[in-house]
Amino acid sequence: MSERVVFWYGCNAVRHGDIIHSAIEVMRAVGIESDVAGGPAYCCGTIKDGNLQAAAGMATRTVEKFNQSGRDKVVTWCPSCHRHMGTFMTGIATANFEVSHITEMLHARRHLLAPLMQHRIERKVVLHTHTGFHEVDANPLVADLLRLIPGLEVVVTDYSAPGHMCSALAPVPAALIDVVRHCVDQTATHGTDTLVTVFHSCQRLLCGLATTDGIKVTNYVNLLTQAMGIATAPDEYAQWKNAGSEAAIVESIGAERIAKIGAEFFAKQVMPELRRLPEK
Amino acid sequence: MKPDTDPLLDYIERNIERTLADCTSCGKCFDVCPMPQYSAKLAGQTGGDIVAGVLDILHGKGGTPAAVEWTRLCTQSATCIPACPENVNPMLMLRLARITALGSTGAPAQLPDLKRDPNFFRRINAFASLQLSEAELAEWQR
Repeated sequence: MSERVVFWYGCNAVRHGDIIHSAIEVMRAVGIESDVAGGPAYCCGTIKDGNLQAAAGMATRTVEKFNQSGRDKVVTWCPSCHRHMGTFMTGIATANFEVSHITEMLHARRHLLAPLMQHRIERKVVLHTHTGFHEVDANPLVADLLRLIPGLEVVVTDYSAPGHMCSALAPVPAALIDVVRHCVDQTATHGTDTLVTVFHSCQRLLCGLATTDGIKVTNYVNLLTQAMGIATAPDEYAQWKNAGSEAAIVESIGAERIAKIGAEFFAKQVMPELRRLPEK
Repeated sequence: MKPDTDPLLDYIERNIERTLADCTSCGKCFDVCPMPQYSAKLAGQTGGDIVAGVLDILHGKGGTPAAVEWTRLCTQSATCIPACPENVNPMLMLRLARITALGSTGAPAQLPDLKRDPNFFRRINAFASLQLSEAELAEWQR
């Protein structure tokens, strides 16, 4: 029995097209077909605390778009969007849809996922968790999903980073440095070189650990697709971040794609982000 | 303020009123917060005093520098929520305080808006163009 939903991936997740594609494929495999929505045109407005006119406009516009989608359920990816929808957005606009987080949707269908995990992944991984997504207890849900993968040993430590995902820590650099240090220590302590993220911004801010510490950082949905034998795009953002030099990044992305966004904008706004590695 | 901001201002005001009515300034939310260790301004502060300052921000009376600093430091860890004996959502309280301290509700600004980045959405669109196909951009981000 197939269910059709809106899959709302948020804004910043577009840095990881692989995550979006894998999420769509995993949901499809368990009978959830997605009308996909995201990017600035669907921004929740949570970043606009300093500009309430923009915040209100974004929130009401996005709720109205979902109301008009014809779907009665919106499945979220981003914990920040999920939180904002459950508070401010539906506090000012009437929503004609339910909201669920993707981890809840997949976990409720894990009996359908389990038989699809046909490809062993012989690896030990540490799950990178945060404390802050109190609306959905996503950490144990993701751990359960990962334990469906044959061969995969999942280590859940007693450390959870503050914030609801790593980007929340960006305004407090010392806190992010502590989190990075914990990630490195945890993988070493448990004798593995792989860290698994739940959210996109953790993937974005930690994937450079491949360069700095030899730690492979991967998102859980990509492990699920791998175990299911579904071919999806690689984590290009991580490839670029770990390319090693500006020239290697440019070569990896390619002149044609860079031209699409403008060479000057790429040099000033994209390259510095890709060259920034985790600090500890 | 333009009229279309009114529902959001009303929502903020309702939640501020509820917070002010329920919060007893016991300070337990501050005591369990993992973030004060990252600011010298919060060293030696007591939870009750800090929270009283946050309530002053919500009252529109400004707050102590330490209270403003705590609102700035909140990273939405949510550890404060189960610690509150009055079922206030301290994380939401701090968000409301930050909105107020930014000057968004008409009170004098006490915090700079560090998220006011003119290239924030342009970078997102740029990465979308690098990562998604033209068809996906047209269908998913319209």
